[in-house]
Formats: sequence, C-alpha cells, structure tokens
Amino acid sequence: MISVLVTGAHTPTGQRLVHSLVADTRVRHVLAVDSTEPPEPPPRLANRLQTMKVDLRSSRTVRELLFGPARDLGVEVVVHLAQRGDARSRGRRVHKANVDALRSMLDLADRHPTIRRVVVRSFAVVYRVSMDLPTLVTEDHPLNLAPSAPQYVRDRVEADLTACTRMGLIQAEIVVLRCAEAMAAGTGSQLYDYLKAPVAFRPMGFDPMVNVATVDDLVAAVEAATHGSGEGVFNVPGFDTLPLTAAAHKWGTRMLPMPGPLVQPLYNLRHRAVGSSFSYGLNRHRMHFGLVLDGTRARDVLGYTPRHPVHWPHGRAARAPLPTVRDGAARRAK
Amino acid sequence: MPFPPTIAKAISRLGGRAVRDRAERLAFADAGHGYDRFGMHPDFVAVGDALVAPIYDHYFRVKSYGSEHIPTSGPAILAGNHSGTLPLDGAMLFLDVLRHTDPPRVARPVADYFVLALPVVSTLFARSGVVGGSRGNARALLEAGELLMIFPEGVPGIGKAFSQRYQLQTWTKGHCELAIRHGAPIVPVGIVGAEEQMPQLARLPAPKGSPIPYIPVPATLIPFPVRYHIHYGAPIPVHEDYSPDQADDPAVVAEAAARVKASVQALLEKGLAERKGIFR
Repeated sequence: MISVLVTGAHTPTGQRLVHSLVADTRVRHVLAVDSTEPPEPPPRLANRLQTMKVDLRSSRTVRELLFGPARDLGVEVVVHLAQRGDARSRGRRVHKANVDALRSMLDLADRHPTIRRVVVRSFAVVYRVSMDLPTLVTEDHPLNLAPSAPQYVRDRVEADLTACTRMGLIQAEIVVLRCAEAMAAGTGSQLYDYLKAPVAFRPMGFDPMVNVATVDDLVAAVEAATHGSGEGVFNVPGFDTLPLTAAAHKWGTRMLPMPGPLVQPLYNLRHRAVGSSFSYGLNRHRMHFGLVLDGTRARDVLGYTPRHPVHWPHGRAARAPLPTVRDGAARRAK
Repeated sequence: MPFPPTIAKAISRLGGRAVRDRAERLAFADAGHGYDRFGMHPDFVAVGDALVAPIYDHYFRVKSYGSEHIPTSGPAILAGNHSGTLPLDGAMLFLDVLRHTDPPRVARPVADYFVLALPVVSTLFARSGVVGGSRGNARALLEAGELLMIFPEGVPGIGKAFSQRYQLQTWTKGHCELAIRHGAPIVPVGIVGAEEQMPQLARLPAPKGSPIPYIPVPATLIPFPVRYHIHYGAPIPVHEDYSPDQADDPAVVAEAAARVKASVQALLEKGLAERKGIFR
C-alpha cells in the first residue's frame, strides 16, 4: 500500500487519475493538489483522499507541502501533472509553474524521508520534428532545442531535461512519461485545439501521420509508472495512429488545404478574431512531417500498452494495431 | 491527403482484377485505421500498381530474372544501382517485387530527405510505402519484418552522367550496417536499361530554399522506351556472416558493402552481356 501525491489534480487527466487511484486497493491515501480550489472529497472517501489548493510556483510552498502533509501521510510517490496548458501563455510566472515547481520538487525529494519515486508527465511536443528525422520516435530522438521555439515548447523541454538530469543523482527514482496528445478538452493538446474548430487550415500537399491518445490511456500509463520500479524515460503513445486528414474527417472538422505561406497568417488572424489557442507556429513542422511515438520501451518495462481508442464522433474506432507485416497478411487473408 | 482511400480504391480498379487481388492480399502492419505507422495504405499501393503497370508492361517492357531470391517473409534489404534522371527504376522495381512475391510484398523505398518536403509527392509516396531515409525509420521497418528498397548510390547515382552509365558511384554503407544489426539478408539487384533511359546533359543549381538538390537538364523530355531487365542475385547473408555487434565495426561494414557492390556490379555485367540491345 502506498500513498500518492498528485499535482495538477484538477486537470482532466488529474481528476481521472485521482479517481482511479482512490479506487485502487494498492493505494492507501491520495493527496490531490492543484493551483485552483479543488472540490471537497465525498465523505465516504475522506479517509483516503485529501485535496488542497497549492501554488507550486513558490519553492517555499512546495517545501511546506512536501515536508508537511505529504510527509505526515507518508507519501511515497509524487505524480507531477501540473503544467500550464495554454500554448500562448508566456512570461516568468508561467516558467515558474512549468519548470521551477518541478525543480523544487526534485531538489526536496532528494532529502525527503518518505518519497521514493517521482513520476513526471512530459509531452511529445518536446521532440524535434524534421524531414531528416524518423517518423517513428523512440526515446533517444532529438529534442526541440531551437532557440526560436515558443515558451510552451521550451518550458516543456526544460522540465523534461530537468527531470532527466536528476536521474540517478537523487535518492528518489524518476520516471518521465512523454505522452501523446489526448483528444480531450483541457489537456493542453494542440491537436485537439486544432481540430475543435469547424474548419482547419493545413499546408497543401501534406498529410502527416499523427498518434493520439485518450485520457484513460494516459492515466493507465501514469498508474503503471506509479506502481512500477526503476527509472527512465518512456514514450506513452495512444491507440490511434492515422493521417491528420483522416483524424479531421473522423472528428467532423472540415479541412481546407492552403498554400503553406498563407496558413500562419490565417491562424494569426483567427487568434485575433476568436482567440483560438492553437498556435500554427508551434506546430508548423508537425503539419508537414509525421511524428508517431514508439511505445516499445513503456510496454517492455512498465507493462503499458494503449487499450482505449479515441471515440471519433464521425468515424469508426481503430482496430488493434498489428506489430508485423506477417500479422497483417494473416488478418487480410481472413 | 490528395484523395481519400475510397477514391484510391476506385482508381485502382482501373488496373483490373489482378491489382485488386494483390491489394487484398498485401502483407502490411495495419496501425488500426487501415494505414501503417508510416502512412502506407493498401489502396494507394494498388493505385501505384495500376498506374505504373502500363509503363512497366508496355513502355519499358520489364523482364525480371531471379525473383525467387526475394524472401517471402521476414526482414530483408534490396540493394540496387540507381540511375536515369527520374527515379523510374524505383517504380519498376517496386512493381516487379509486388508482382513476383506471394503474398505480395511492398519493397519499401527508402527515399532521400528532400522527397519528404515535396508537397503532394511526399504524401502520395508515403501512402505507397516510401519512407524517409533516416536510420530510425529503417530500423523500425526491419524490426517489423519489412522489405526495404535501398539505392546505396543515392542522388549521385540518379544524377550520373551518360558516360558513367553502369559504373556504380559512391556506394554508401548504411544498408550493410542495418542488415548486420537487424538480422536481414541483402538481395543485390542489377537494373539494366534505366541507365540509358534519360541521358543527362547538365545539372543546374536548385533555387535557394528549394528542397530539391539540383535541377536536371535531360537530353529528352520523356524517357527513351528502353527495355528494363531486373536481375536479382542470391541473398548475401551478412546477418549470418557477422554478429550484430560487428555492425559498429567500420571495417566489417565496409567489407560487407564491398561484397554487395561487387554483386550488383556482377549482375549488371551479366545483364549487359545477355541483352540484345538497349530497346530489346
């Protein structure tokens, strides 16, 4: 039986995770914190779930959390989900929330009496996308360290690297989960923001492969990491791998191919007019070249395999992926 | 994508029953929505099959020799000579493998990076099985048991001068490293005919910012109707001759690459000696 601290507990992924952990008989207590006021837990769960409003941007608050309620509850695993999801947020305060909070947590975990494991949710957006790089992305794929990358990306890369550089240096084990985008509101998914518009522009002549996840699968991966042992970086792919236009079709979004140089100004205009949170500049390369996470390592080490297909409002769900061409031949022969 | 799979399927029907039959029996790793992880779709492979067939059958009148050497399953690499200003040799080899394997196998062409930056072309190629030439893509495909089509001469091969025909250019070694590491035999391929299809007069520098490496100036607007002779050699079992650890040894990889190059050169010489003329 373990006790778990979940940050970002009020996000869609956090809420689902907390719900799942509370139902898990291997978990003794869940401490759910968020920067917004969380709802009071139902009385029947009061002895297993404690919610708190905590601003993680201040290192003092993080210290008070970890060496206060977390120590008192004997928290062994910290699951860090708190990241600002808006691609257009920028500034020092955003950086503090995205990066400094994690740094403080890792520093303190090194001398914490009970914490033995930190699970960090990272994002597929940390990977560089380019024509000379593989479509199928393994954990050793180059990261997007371009100075011109927006803060949304730079913060995520910095947080990811902050966790990676501590591996083996602090007493707690660190697990970094680089997750595919979830097709759900409030998850910080740029693809969701892109497809939720009734009409989406794309550069003419390009239709890259994308891999999308569900919140259920992300929660399953975090749970596998919470209960697992060992440390490392793991890709967390989703169940659905398909071309961008097929995703749009299944989602019910009309796609309008435009000459490449026009797409960015159109999205800038749309942002000014209706405040869309989708940033084409952030996704320009992804609109040209495919990026599909390879989850082999997560499957072999954590035992995670995506099992929940996206519920597409206008198309059929995905069938189980086939690992080899031989399997494909057998299935098509049936 | 330029058009959806339903239209691809309709177009492929123009190729007749054999094309559809091959598409139905095609071996490929469906990622869940009918595409593989790299974007290949059987109905688009069938479009390629249907569109290339008239050129294969009636224009270049391709003759195939030794196709029994193509493994029917498991990872393997086809390594051949590259030439002809336009990559029609790749298209002919693609269809030749599709027609001479059972169940039909797609020889996944490994293309230069610039191909992925070409609008429309990149998408159509990806749907037909072409992948970018990164090590990671090749590794993933071999691990999934796929057949790769690699032209170790690369762009210098396709852009070679007419006076250099059938002389193999700089022979890269990456295919041998992949084969040794991932347990794949290499099937040498000698393509006779393509080297005379479109003599190149000059190469102009590509405009700044363009993804293409140069602009070719061919002697003809369309290729000559040369006859293609595709010769497959016996598989070179580099994966048995060397251990996977030796993939990191430059001397071993160079030795294996030299063996493959010599095999391809021998197939070319055999093919040239046996053919009765450029157009016959």
